[in-house]
Amino acid sequence: MSEETIEDLFPNLRKDSYFIASPETINYNCIAWAAGNGEKWWWPDPQSQYFWPPGIPREETIEAFVKAYEILGYSICQNAEYENGFEKIAVYVDSIGRPTHAARQLISGRWTSKLGGLEDIEHTLDGLAGSKYGNVAIIMKRFR
Amino acid sequence: MTYVRSRFTKADLPDIADIDTNTAVSKESSLIEDEYRRSVEHYLIPFSRQWSNPLIRFFTLRLDWEADTAHLSSITEISVHPAYQQIIGMGPIAIPLILSEMKRKPGHWFWALKSITGEDPVLPEQRGQIMQMTEAWLRWGKVQGYLR
Repeated sequence: MSEETIEDLFPNLRKDSYFIASPETINYNCIAWAAGNGEKWWWPDPQSQYFWPPGIPREETIEAFVKAYEILGYSICQNAEYENGFEKIAVYVDSIGRPTHAARQLISGRWTSKLGGLEDIEHTLDGLAGSKYGNVAIIMKRFR
Repeated sequence: MTYVRSRFTKADLPDIADIDTNTAVSKESSLIEDEYRRSVEHYLIPFSRQWSNPLIRFFTLRLDWEADTAHLSSITEISVHPAYQQIIGMGPIAIPLILSEMKRKPGHWFWALKSITGEDPVLPEQRGQIMQMTEAWLRWGKVQGYLR
């Protein structure tokens, strides 16, 4: 997808620097990518057709998403600032608190995201905030 | 001619259809009515004929759905999109169209196929692996005779 179309979806990207970091693919999504998986589409869909970590409730709630990342060693933390030795993830929620998106922090302090079935981009957290993904609700971290 | 187009709209169609043909009408009035019917046929009927064609309907809905959901991760949001739901609503006639589309380009058609057919050939260990899920459905389509 063109940069112009991505910026139309996420207008805040126009204010911050970002770049497209991968080709478009539907092989994985943001939830998997934040967890370091580039091979599966993770989602707790009610038809149980997609991957969701075993033992975690298949619910579209922030609590279920936190539990899914907790089994990978993440725990909730207070801020999104880069901390040496830690890897952080951010979970976005919509206006009614449903998870919509997740991003993972890179060593540079910037964030990497898979945009649904589109490309990966490198961006700031505010760059993806807005009507499509809502806002960041939870930051989690684990040792690198 | 200009008068007819500017005065009548699509919403007028039912009223015009109800005109009592036994009522005495002037030659000018008949001319206006004929022109109106001709313009309605030209502008409205071709579209409705197109929409009743499952192939055109499917591809029109697919384009809307893809454009609106490509950036989403939520399978629920992707699958409750009105265009996607209309494709599900097409019923079994949509199955070969979906499978042909999957063969051309894998996509999130699993919810629709499961909803229409009541089946799910994807193995638990294949969940979330789009290519393997797609292949499972394409194999199912061949066995069921939807694909060659």
